[in-house]
Amino acid sequence: MTAPATPAPRTVPTPGADAPAPLDRRGLVVGVSAVAVTIVAVFVGSEGLRWFDAALAGYLAGTLFAIFGVAYRYTVWLRRPPTARLNRRGWEAFLRPGRRGRNVAHLPGLLVRNVLLQTFILRRSISRWLAHQLIFWGCVLAVLVTFPLTFGWLHFQSVGQDAQQYQAFVAGIGTFEFASRSVLGWTIFHLLDIAAILVLAGVAIFLGRRLRDPGAIAIERSNDFLALAGLFAVSVTGLMLTVSSLWMEGSFYVFLTNLHALTVILGLLYIPFGKLFHIFQRPANIGIEYYKTEGARGGALDCRSCGKPFASALQIGDLEAILPRLGFDYSLADGDNYQRTCPRCRRRLLTQAQSARVRGFG
Amino acid sequence: MIGPSALGDGMFVVDPSRCIGCEACVQACGECGTHRGRSLIHLDQVDRSTTVQTVPMVCMHCEDPTCAQVCPADAIKQNEDGVVQSALKPRCVACSNCVLACPFGVPKYEADFDLMMKCDMCYDRTSQGVAPMCASVCPSQALWFGTPEEFADTRRGTLTNEFQFGNETVRTRVHTVVDEPGPLQVTAGPTESPWQDDPFGLATVEA
Amino acid sequence: MARPPVTEEELVDRYGPHLNETPPGGWDAGLEIDREVKTHCCFCGQQCGVILKVHDDEVVGFEPWYDFPFNEGKLCPKGVKRYLQGAHPDRLTEPMERSADGFTHVGWDKALDRVATEIRRIQDAYGPDSFALYGGASLTTEKAYLLGKFARLGIKTANIDYNGRLCMVSAGAAYKGAFGVDRAPNPWSDIPLADSVFVIGANVAECAPITTSYIWRARDNGAKLIVADPRVTPIARTADLFLGLRPGTDSALMGTILHILIERDMVDSEFVAAHTEGFEEAAAAVESYTPAWGADITGVPAARIEEAAEIWGRSDTGMLLHARGIEHQSKGVENVRSCINVALATGKIGRPGAGVCMITGQGNGQGGREHGQKCDQLPGARDLRNPEHRSAVSEVWGCDPDDLPGPGVSAQEIMDKIHEGEIKGLLSICFNPVVSLPDSNHTVEALDNLEFYGVVDFFLSESAHHADIVLPGSLHEEDEGTVTSAEGRVIKINEAVPPPGNARRDWEIVCDLARRLGTGRYFDFESSRDIFEELRRASAGGTADYAGITWERLEAENGIFWPCPTEDHPGTPRFFEDGVFKTESGRAKFAAITFRPPGEEIDDEYPIWLTTGRVISQYLSGTQTRRIGPLTEQYPEPLCEIHPSLAEEHGIAHGDIVRVRSRRGEIELPAKIVTTIRPDTVFIPFHWPGAKAVNQLTHRILDPVSKIPEYKVSVVNIERVAAAPAEPVDIRDVAVSFGETR
Repeated sequence: MTAPATPAPRTVPTPGADAPAPLDRRGLVVGVSAVAVTIVAVFVGSEGLRWFDAALAGYLAGTLFAIFGVAYRYTVWLRRPPTARLNRRGWEAFLRPGRRGRNVAHLPGLLVRNVLLQTFILRRSISRWLAHQLIFWGCVLAVLVTFPLTFGWLHFQSVGQDAQQYQAFVAGIGTFEFASRSVLGWTIFHLLDIAAILVLAGVAIFLGRRLRDPGAIAIERSNDFLALAGLFAVSVTGLMLTVSSLWMEGSFYVFLTNLHALTVILGLLYIPFGKLFHIFQRPANIGIEYYKTEGARGGALDCRSCGKPFASALQIGDLEAILPRLGFDYSLADGDNYQRTCPRCRRRLLTQAQSARVRGFG
Repeated sequence: MIGPSALGDGMFVVDPSRCIGCEACVQACGECGTHRGRSLIHLDQVDRSTTVQTVPMVCMHCEDPTCAQVCPADAIKQNEDGVVQSALKPRCVACSNCVLACPFGVPKYEADFDLMMKCDMCYDRTSQGVAPMCASVCPSQALWFGTPEEFADTRRGTLTNEFQFGNETVRTRVHTVVDEPGPLQVTAGPTESPWQDDPFGLATVEA
Repeated sequence: MARPPVTEEELVDRYGPHLNETPPGGWDAGLEIDREVKTHCCFCGQQCGVILKVHDDEVVGFEPWYDFPFNEGKLCPKGVKRYLQGAHPDRLTEPMERSADGFTHVGWDKALDRVATEIRRIQDAYGPDSFALYGGASLTTEKAYLLGKFARLGIKTANIDYNGRLCMVSAGAAYKGAFGVDRAPNPWSDIPLADSVFVIGANVAECAPITTSYIWRARDNGAKLIVADPRVTPIARTADLFLGLRPGTDSALMGTILHILIERDMVDSEFVAAHTEGFEEAAAAVESYTPAWGADITGVPAARIEEAAEIWGRSDTGMLLHARGIEHQSKGVENVRSCINVALATGKIGRPGAGVCMITGQGNGQGGREHGQKCDQLPGARDLRNPEHRSAVSEVWGCDPDDLPGPGVSAQEIMDKIHEGEIKGLLSICFNPVVSLPDSNHTVEALDNLEFYGVVDFFLSESAHHADIVLPGSLHEEDEGTVTSAEGRVIKINEAVPPPGNARRDWEIVCDLARRLGTGRYFDFESSRDIFEELRRASAGGTADYAGITWERLEAENGIFWPCPTEDHPGTPRFFEDGVFKTESGRAKFAAITFRPPGEEIDDEYPIWLTTGRVISQYLSGTQTRRIGPLTEQYPEPLCEIHPSLAEEHGIAHGDIVRVRSRRGEIELPAKIVTTIRPDTVFIPFHWPGAKAVNQLTHRILDPVSKIPEYKVSVVNIERVAAAPAEPVDIRDVAVSFGETR
């Protein structure tokens, strides 16, 4: 009898590890560049820091770190052989002469379905989709409000003397005016509260699902929970600021301000490492759509065993190119490659080998 | 939570030669808590026109999973106990690289969800020390779960967890049963062995 | 009178079969489980243990029951998805009366009064035996017992029989004749102890799937496996020796084997001399059954038959397992006796790992046939003709032995008498004769002759389409009681949920009906347990003695093998360990079996053998399993298995529509071209009604002793009528899942 699992003979990056270990030079360059671009944008957008709010400096620092981290990790991620290959293929497919017009025309639909409405989640479960949409739109709203404020791109000024009328300024240029006691005014000043409530509703649905569903608990990763906890903390501390100012005459306001800032900054620091990085990864699915279309146009590969078409020749070719770089050699004695076998025949071959050839059954 | 599991020296053994094609595993797989309503085990015919042999296939949980290595999105993770998880839902970009590269033909592309899903050895059960659904119900015990000692006590045949695909030897957490030690030569090609003087094959008949 | 009130299509539209695909609320409902109930699967005689999960009085899921010793958690697909028969949209929940536009809900009072009135009217007009009862082998033993008592004392008709008549009665009669007792003599745990396992006429993998694991355990212990079948079944594929015999030639095969055992001196003369009788006659009957003769009759090469005799004869222990393949024949009893001969000749009985066992097929096929549901039987497997037996039971029932009617006729004969107009009224529980009985056109004609037809069922079966009154009864999981599994193990069925709506437990319906007929004093039961307690007393001293069995013991001991005469008796897993048999002489009886051909033989007009059987995903007439989506999708409609050489002769390609015709009728269905069946034989599974019913083709020639119909051998001709439909029929037995890339 053979003993169960012993260590793998090959040393390639452990699939269990999230962040790559040694610092990547190219990642550093891209990360630092992204931060530099952001700083320039902040400087320009705030008219030389005129509208930059020093009280938000901590947030800016956190944001800059998040930008660095995301850019760094994205760069490193894109350089993994399978990712690099698909990234290149996606762009090739998108920019293919003669297809560009059609590809661009398809893009809005893909973006709406896959990125904004996330219909692929809807088919898995309505409650899961609802939760994800709530959190997604809550975060989008929060980012649209806070980033411009933090960067000094957006500020509000009172018009006249009675502090009833306000005007919004973008990059120092005055835009629309509104009354603070109007519905519009209330909405604008409570945009973040609305975002927080959306996020909390989504978090509640997700948590409810996780607590009720033993299957979900089993494959839970600490990462999953941390992301929900972070969103919860940021939203609750933010809402408490509003509560304090509206109903508690500002009690604990300073403490709450610091607490909220802390949760937000920690959250920003967490983005590049944790589960939320999928925000940047998953849209790669758009490229995959173009890759698949390109593969279908290029024709299918016939299974070397059953002779039936089973995959795009493009993708099998790509896999055959990538696999050796990852340390796999599926080439066969006859010079062909095992990867040209369809998945069904792979399963069948194993059973035939084990049952008919080894055990002699009919 | 991922962490120390009760899987311990729990061992999964697949012996396709015993399979009676009853589909109890297919039906039970869809009752698994981590993917309710969706069966992820494979059960195919070898070629029904000439044999009733069927092909059961669970994830073999490779020590160095090809699927995880070819995943552009880092979406396939391996637990400390060697169980290779289904794709992380937020990450999977549905490229099907894993579906096509897996030497055992295991991952499924679920078009509805635009997501890869595969057998995770019923992690909700095995992490609690309970046998996976398919191996629990399998009437022929072609799918078997227990300790190596239990296997040695009750079953015949030699276990192997090495599979030879051309030049590649793949080691897995799941074992299969062979006659002699050494990797199972998956790509060695069929051997013509007339079964019981080929009842009903009737040499003259073109099947 | 008893034609369906509206078209079949309309009835199917209203009452199904519709497919239940998911548990209540769908897969994503995340329902809290209120309780988990340990009970059993209802879909075959093995009665595997299973845990049903309940939410809000609905069964919403299952979990393997690892601690139940028979199956240790193992289940076939029917066991996994059995829970989907609960909370089903087709479930009958109101008593119904036929009306011009279908069936109308009427209250229980009106419905039961109508049944009682019709019983009285018909019996007054035509005599007591003009009203018949049909029972079912899926009922608990309590219900089966109650139904037998209801026939004899409730309405005093001789004519009660049950669908177990279509199951293993040939084996029952043969075992009673040879051993004096109708039960598998060995527990299944003996199978792994055998040196050789001989499976004949049993598609173990599909019809008794968990038995597969016992056979493999034997093989893991080094046993040789012999399988005899006209088809290469999944278990046959892995056999050490496969005997692909012609349908209807089983007794020739076993006779030849006995001949070889005698010729080659493999008979255990010591055992034969000490514990048996009739060997000389049996030997004389097979004297001319040389391997060459056997090969000629069976179509199995002589060398293979010799090899089988050698494997069986030279092994110290051995288990011979048989099922409907040899029993569903007009010589079913003889076939089984020929198997018993081979076991007795080699002394393979009454020892660990040595015996001959029938694999009973129906849910309570064993318990349902022991306590009076059979036309000639009283509780405790007693004989209705035997004066001592009559008085013993009468004492428990508090009636005069002369009050008990004599034996009636069997299930098929009841239908024949209905057809002839002799029986005018019928009440059936859990029996779907339109699909189950052979020659279904004859059955439908017969039902047309009934003046009254009452049906108790949980779904509107195809037979219930013809009913005047339909009473909603209870599912397996909606009542408690006992069943006795194929092993002879009495086990406890637990109520997971109450019957829904106004549906009632079957025993409540029967007792209520008895009260309305003025015979309520015999049916004063408050619970199913009350019935069991009376059954214990009624069976005491009988062959199937349950006197020492209590429900508490059944739960605590995971079932008890009968006989169990006292509460401190451990039960009897294995019979005849002392070499004493239950026959009058105490000796096991050989039978002199001369081969005779089946009731119908091939000729120029009908040159092909037809044999029928089950598929794994369906149970009996499909009343339950054709309503469970995942099971139906496994094998959606009947296919005709044809060997490629036969197919080529008729120009039939895979998936083509073929017409299969017999002297009784014809059926059109897709062809499944496979080399795993004999070239002279076609196979069609029997679970479907109407135009898809293979029983339109089968004939009504019965075994003279067991009265079982010959489902396994008829003769047909085939022709191609159409090419495979453009939309290809699903010719897969197994869900094929491609790793698609879209």
